[in-house]
Amino acid sequence: MTTVFHPLVKRFLDGELHLADLPPELHAEARAAERLLGAVDRAAVTLPAGLDARVMAEVRKRATAPSGARRWWHGLVASREIRVRYRLWTLGPALAAAAALVLLLTPARPVVEAGMPVVATAPESVFVRFVLFAPGAHQVSVAGTFNQWSVTAAPLALTGAAGVWTATVALPVGQHQYAFVVDGRRWVNDPAAPTVDDGFGRRNSVMAVGAGVRAL
Amino acid sequence: MSPLATLGVTAALHIAALGVTATAQQPVATQLAGRVPATVVVAVSALADSAATRGLPVEPLVEKAIEGGAKAATPERIVAAVQAVLARLGRAQGALQAAGVATPAPDAIEAGGFALSAGLEVGNVQAVALACGTRYSAAVALRVAGTLSALGVPPAQTVELVKQTLRSGAKERDLLALPGRVEAQVAQGATPGQAAAGLARAAAARAAAPGQNRVPPRGQSSSHRP
Repeated sequence: MTTVFHPLVKRFLDGELHLADLPPELHAEARAAERLLGAVDRAAVTLPAGLDARVMAEVRKRATAPSGARRWWHGLVASREIRVRYRLWTLGPALAAAAALVLLLTPARPVVEAGMPVVATAPESVFVRFVLFAPGAHQVSVAGTFNQWSVTAAPLALTGAAGVWTATVALPVGQHQYAFVVDGRRWVNDPAAPTVDDGFGRRNSVMAVGAGVRAL
Repeated sequence: MSPLATLGVTAALHIAALGVTATAQQPVATQLAGRVPATVVVAVSALADSAATRGLPVEPLVEKAIEGGAKAATPERIVAAVQAVLARLGRAQGALQAAGVATPAPDAIEAGGFALSAGLEVGNVQAVALACGTRYSAAVALRVAGTLSALGVPPAQTVELVKQTLRSGAKERDLLALPGRVEAQVAQGATPGQAAAGLARAAAARAAAPGQNRVPPRGQSSSHRP
């Protein structure tokens, strides 16, 4: 059986996050993962009696010099030290060739169509949890510079608490402007963040994200 | 490597470079297609050409147009908003150049533009860039300054807080944490200006105590580097 845990749950298992840091919808998964891991950790490892003797006997048997076909096979597969000498002037062209190969084999980035979710590919990302209290809303999402202002790319989920919507989104390091979109048409600022004029008669919420740090 | 192989690698590199350039600099019209009216595509493409000619980043213009499309703004309003962004980028570039940066990096220009949109003046942007010197990223400092301004910290206190924090040798992550620290004090009843002034005094005191949290000039290795 293969179990794939949510990335945040994996960070929880690694001790990087506390249970309280996780969105409520991941709590059950985190507890299940913790139980599973705890059971594995506590399972006593019992080695069969006589294992030591059998291992040592096998080692002694293999230590004797092979002969004939076994020697040939042994010479072929046995590990050995290989020394490679290279000259500095060969390194540049070799790296260039490798880079060219990688670039040529990399598929071109597809054109982003309107409404298509955009996946952030920045080398460093920070998980940010968005929360909006919107009682009576049927649908809430967060749109911003990090997802090309898509109103569908980052939906928030209704939590157990009435009217509280949340989503955890991986944002690339940098400056972001965003707003919540309620029911697909109403743009709402994040009450927990500063705002700037958006140039369209409304305001955008602002967030600066650094490696491991969310400014706001 | 034989001359023939070297020639092959060089040709491959050129072909690959052309492909990468074409991908990275996707035409503005392609990025905007289907997101904004055709008239906006034409106007923003022209503005983007003008920006590129002046060494200004094009991406903020495209982003603003996409934002306008998503918010169902009128074509005239979208173009006006993009023009405003372009004007701010130009002013930010001028401020950075006045601070001694001959060819400002696109992210620094963009951050300067954001700081201007958040309420700082050209002189403030220049002062923050000057304070960064070669030790700190002007882009990060300007983003933080802009965020502080958006929080309601007056321009003079914003600049002072960022300058004193940089002078104290703080790490970039400390700089990024400033808006959150201001907001925490505001939550306790201080005004944004008071909060910033208090943090600036604390940073000045740290700067007066040499040898603490010093950040080496960029390019030098250090375990303390942000």
